Amino acid sequence: MDKNEVKSKKISTSELWAKLFRSASVERYLAGSVDMQELPLFSEYNSMLAEERNEKAEAVIRRGEIESSFGHKLFSGTRNPSRDTVLQLAFGFELNADETQQLLKVARATALHPRVKRDAVIAYCLQYHRTFMETQQLLYDNHLPLIGGKNDRS
Amino acid sequence: MTDRDELLQSILDSDSSADYPAEFQEKYVLMECLSEQKGITTFLVQDPEGKNHIAKCYERNLWTIADNSSLLDGLDHKGLPKYTESFENENVLITVREYIEGLPLDRYAQENELSVKEITRICARICDILAYLHHRDEPIIHRDIKPQNIIIGPDGSVSLIDFDIARVYRSGHDTDTVFFGTLAYAPPEQYGFAQTDARTDIYSLGILLRWLLTGSTKENKNVKTYRPLDKIIRKCTGFAPKDRFADVSQVKKALFSANPRSQAVRLTCVILCAALAIGAVCYGGVRLYRYLTWSPFTEDAVPAFTSDADRVEDAVSYMKEKYGTTMFDETEDTATVGDLRAVLTELYGFDREYVYGINEDMPQENNAYFLPWGWDEGQTVDRDIAVYAAVKAHDPAMVADWSSLKDDNGYYPGVRVAVAFAEEHGIMNGANHPGDIPLGELAVIFANTDRVFEAAETEE
Repeated sequence: MDKNEVKSKKISTSELWAKLFRSASVERYLAGSVDMQELPLFSEYNSMLAEERNEKAEAVIRRGEIESSFGHKLFSGTRNPSRDTVLQLAFGFELNADETQQLLKVARATALHPRVKRDAVIAYCLQYHRTFMETQQLLYDNHLPLIGGKNDRS
Repeated sequence: MTDRDELLQSILDSDSSADYPAEFQEKYVLMECLSEQKGITTFLVQDPEGKNHIAKCYERNLWTIADNSSLLDGLDHKGLPKYTESFENENVLITVREYIEGLPLDRYAQENELSVKEITRICARICDILAYLHHRDEPIIHRDIKPQNIIIGPDGSVSLIDFDIARVYRSGHDTDTVFFGTLAYAPPEQYGFAQTDARTDIYSLGILLRWLLTGSTKENKNVKTYRPLDKIIRKCTGFAPKDRFADVSQVKKALFSANPRSQAVRLTCVILCAALAIGAVCYGGVRLYRYLTWSPFTEDAVPAFTSDADRVEDAVSYMKEKYGTTMFDETEDTATVGDLRAVLTELYGFDREYVYGINEDMPQENNAYFLPWGWDEGQTVDRDIAVYAAVKAHDPAMVADWSSLKDDNGYYPGVRVAVAFAEEHGIMNGANHPGDIPLGELAVIFANTDRVFEAAETEE
């Protein structure tokens, strides 16, 4: 298959969604009303994830390339994360795309959206377990803003 | 190439924003999809300098939306996001505005326990922003006031976002035909009953205030709200627009009055004023009582003796010591008019003509002479006349009533006043004969009267 053939093979948002996520449609996922009061605290959810996956906070923080003391504050609940920091944690936990959506939801951050190319690249990297550094390289190569860039909202 | 590689290539080659104007795509990178509903997609976008903005993309096939960029461009208020620019093609209209740092109020309220004071502060700030919008030459009605559209900045600043449905109020249009807004916060007229105006936003503001105070947009009688604010909520959310506050500045004023601190200040003022009023009434009452009852005369000016003989002896010696007179020595002798006139002229220094003169005209009801009666020198003196003379020697004004209301004894009111005064102050203690009196009792009357007047206090 040459490059032109690949390019001509346009992929729709819903197709892309279907390939990256188990949820049936982006609309269903995004429209799902979330009662924020029912969501666990982000720090509790992190600890629960770590326990479930038999991970140490240090390892998660290191893999997500999060500054150490800041990372521990996220686990203790003394700091609220920005969306990009949540994504770094997802790489740290080695979550897949669906699990990352749930983590974003718990963090009250917006979901990864296939219409946003940067989000789609990140979702792809999570789904196929690329490392955080590999993901950053991919974003960089394609002129997309890096995760945790200087204008990261916090 | 594996399936994975193909998928990645598809992602990188995909162009989900192909429908958007090329200039927009060249300038901005999509960072997050914040919401997507009914043909309106809101993105967080980043400009080439890495600065965040909000882009709202309206699909033209779903919405007939006028380009309100000129409207947004004309707005300049610290509580409103600054308009950046807009783009359009046959598919979409995109408006780009400043990204405002902070948390939406719904999340801010969940993460912070808001005090009544903080709630009134936030609502007052919203009033300021709405006043800016409503008071423009062409008033702008926001029509979607809800917690999600209010951003609380890290410094506590309050901003109002989302002008999707805001539009210029055009008077003369009877009803709005399309429902905009958020059900829970929308007033009845927004369902199409009538044209919306500034009172539409006031209704939503009332619902917002209720939500902040009770956690619910619906009235719940079981939840007690801070009473002054409850009144504001009711006034904001009247069914008919005419029952609501007419202007958002009135809401702000009411909020300030309802602020717990204002209430506390008001309560303190009321208590202080009440205390001052009570104090003033009490003080005034005491002053009035003292004014009405004040008497310069002290109660114990006249010395206490157990027998009349002692009183007479004391009085004679008092007069002798004070005036150097021996005229009272014969205490048992009956006092005469001549004795009385001698006392007045020699001891008290009154003018002889004044004391001895007799008004020949009848009736002798005037003050031309000391004694108005034309008595002979040898005539005896009644006790009441002696008292009258003694008091008049000190205070003529007190006994100056010469009206013709004579008593049974033929005395004028001035005499009765003198006798009443003498009885009150014990001047007649020791002068027990109501009729003719001896010299000793005349001494008692004059001595006691002297003492009473000498002991009198000066007026306050």
